[in-house]
Amino acid sequence: MFGQTEAITLDMLKMALDAASLRHQAIANNIANVNTPGYAPARVSFEAQMGALRSTLQQGNPITPGMLSGIRPVLEREAVVQESDRTALLDKEIVNMAQNTVQYEALLKALGKHMSILSAAVAEGKR
Amino acid sequence: MSIDAVSFLAPTALPMLNPLDNTAAPSGQFATWFTQQLSDVNTQLIHADHGVQQLAAGDASNLHQVMINLEEAKLSMQLVMQVRNHLLDAYHDLLQMQV
Amino acid sequence: MDYRNAFAISATGMDVEKLRLDTIAANLANIHSGKGVDGKLFRPLHVTTSEATSNFAVGFEQLAGAQLHGARVLSVEASNVAPRKVYEPGNPEADDKGFVSMPGVNQVTEMVNMASALRAYEANVVAMNAAKTMALKALELGGSQ
Repeated sequence: MFGQTEAITLDMLKMALDAASLRHQAIANNIANVNTPGYAPARVSFEAQMGALRSTLQQGNPITPGMLSGIRPVLEREAVVQESDRTALLDKEIVNMAQNTVQYEALLKALGKHMSILSAAVAEGKR
Repeated sequence: MSIDAVSFLAPTALPMLNPLDNTAAPSGQFATWFTQQLSDVNTQLIHADHGVQQLAAGDASNLHQVMINLEEAKLSMQLVMQVRNHLLDAYHDLLQMQV
Repeated sequence: MDYRNAFAISATGMDVEKLRLDTIAANLANIHSGKGVDGKLFRPLHVTTSEATSNFAVGFEQLAGAQLHGARVLSVEASNVAPRKVYEPGNPEADDKGFVSMPGVNQVTEMVNMASALRAYEANVVAMNAAKTMALKALELGGSQ
């Protein structure tokens, strides 16, 4: 309904929010299993799939819907952590969680502001 | 002596009253000015959208700039809406004038 | 995506670490215990955990689309640690050489395990709080109404 740029922005925001939510589950799983021997940490691959999009945006060019097809958040497993590296695992996961939480809330804020611009237009400037 | 002081101050005081550099005084048609403002708002909105897409694509190097752009775009949009509302009100007032 | 899955995962983590803390507390409480009523010496308890494959044990119903299920306890069993021999010839339990068998609980190891289990428990609590904050922030979309 709102035009192509709007639809692309909303799509990207939704996918990024999905990815951040899945990533939090992966981090929570890694934290719950921090003392489990032979555990392979879970990761979510999403931003890595969008390297081409990032460079397009940095050059200032718009994104077409075709560029977004086939990109989706994927749950992956890393190699099993060795016993000697296990002590750093918990700290790394907590740092990842802080970063992911900020990313999620930033995306929510951006989505909220985006919607409020649209609602300002729809409400014709009246409250 | 006092008369000289007043005439010394008056010409230099006025330029300081114009801090905004993108509000050009409407020279010529008001319509062209308004259209220019609309396209400026459009540019700002596209710029803000661009920043949001960068954020969603994982490029978080400019988080504060994205938020600032979004807020600026919203304020510009609201400003343009207010101007449009006042214009419409003025137009309605004109229509209702008894000849 | 079900927001409750993150809570379920952190809850399993907290369960596992709580059980680990309980076994460590039991081991430390029995560090100087003599023979039990069955005549056997106390052997330190050891918790074996693994990653959970489904969440039915936690009490949450099967969450839609969940691929991650946290951790679970496989077993709590007595480990085969050799008892410590302490030289106390006057003790009625001493054997013919004067040594008393004490449970093979290594206090230093237990304290280190306790610190690590405590940190893991706190990390799970932090993860659950973060999930709650994120879900509540999502509710704020659309302004305060």
